[in-house]
Amino acid sequence: MRPFSPDFMFGVVPMLLPFLGVTLAVVVGTVLAGSLFGGLLAWIRMGRNTILRYVAEAYIYMIRCTPSIVMLFVVFYGLPKFCLEVFDTNINDYDKIVFVWITFILLFSAPISEVMRSAYESIDHGQYEAAVSIGLSPWQAFFHIVLPQATVTALPNFGNSVINLMKEGSLAYTIGLVDIIGKGQLIIAHHYGAYALETYLALAAIYLLLTLGVEKSFLYLEHTFSASEKIS
Amino acid sequence: MDLDYKFLVQTFYLVLGAIPTTLKLTFVSLLAATPFAFAIAMVRRQSGRRILSQIVKAYVTFMRGTPIVLQILMIYSVLPSVLNAVALAWNLPINVFDWDPVLYAYIVFTLNTIALLSEVFRSALGSVVQGQMEAALCAGLTRVQAYIHIILPQALVSAMPNLCNLTINLLKGTSLAFLMTVKDMTAVAKVAASYGYNYIEAYMDVLVGYVIVCSIVQVLFHFAERHVGRYRLVRQK
Repeated sequence: MRPFSPDFMFGVVPMLLPFLGVTLAVVVGTVLAGSLFGGLLAWIRMGRNTILRYVAEAYIYMIRCTPSIVMLFVVFYGLPKFCLEVFDTNINDYDKIVFVWITFILLFSAPISEVMRSAYESIDHGQYEAAVSIGLSPWQAFFHIVLPQATVTALPNFGNSVINLMKEGSLAYTIGLVDIIGKGQLIIAHHYGAYALETYLALAAIYLLLTLGVEKSFLYLEHTFSASEKIS
Repeated sequence: MDLDYKFLVQTFYLVLGAIPTTLKLTFVSLLAATPFAFAIAMVRRQSGRRILSQIVKAYVTFMRGTPIVLQILMIYSVLPSVLNAVALAWNLPINVFDWDPVLYAYIVFTLNTIALLSEVFRSALGSVVQGQMEAALCAGLTRVQAYIHIILPQALVSAMPNLCNLTINLLKGTSLAFLMTVKDMTAVAKVAASYGYNYIEAYMDVLVGYVIVCSIVQVLFHFAERHVGRYRLVRQK
């Protein structure tokens, strides 16, 4: 067996890092759009329309049971065909990151809607009533009183979801997106399968730093926000 | 949208036929991980043994901080050749490359589950107040007896929801076993689809298959949760 080569492991990092942007773009794009969609889902679930509520609940339940890889393949193979036949538009040439985004927005929105809902429900309804009674409009009461408090409660779970998303996002290489894992696979293929362990270890180290970084930033955010809460 | 309905139905039966493989992957990994996870949880709860505690903490952090795809790729690219080298060095009459790849799948998912499960156990054990242990010792039980009869039954109640989540996630995670050429639900559908490029139908079948399996697991956990929580004073809704 070939001995382990630490030199290659460190040498491969500069080759991988330029593709970190793609990995991060997947995460950031999904978090932004997924949170909006998740917020919409949470709003529907707490709304008065019974039919819509059941639809949202069924959707969240189904997503909870769907492996990311299966959803990724359904979107990647199914969506172009669906668009071609229903809207008569060809999206086969779209960049692969579009399919990755769509997949993970669908997947991310369900758990995040639950995070938002539980955070919203953890805020005493009296807060809203008090805000409305001193003359704020319902929207103002929501944005200035309920939302800031709910955000603090939601932070730990939100952070967990982001970390999970980041790890699941690594599956994007299976449809051919060249993010850091995709680049790593290319490097391994370039060396005819040699240096696989070294490359994967370098990737693991990068991911470890990323997840720890996200975890620490969310802890920091939580700390800052709850500190201001205690003083007042 | 015109789908190949005949293929849809045929593949659905294929996918259903592969459910035992997926379930086996899930539950064998879960059972194999339990003793190790418990040991890790115990080590991390004790104040002594600082070095060992740091090592297992590093292990848990690594397993939780890296994507499971990477763990699969890593182990599947290295372990067979390492085992082969060992077999050659000791002149063992075995051919590692003849082994069923499901073995490596068990190893990866067990290693991953150990880390996640140890966190579940740790928080569950932490939820039982210290006084319980002290009371059990005062009443004349040994430490082991106290754990078996007093601490664990209570810890299990608070661990149940997390255990359910972990099982569901593991079940979903086993869909990656196809990377190791294990013929689970996803792999079977993928192979069936590759003949006629019927990927959409195949993956829709897989999706339905997972929803069914996950629903069954959740129902089972619901009953298990009721069972272990039957001595609770205040029933939760």
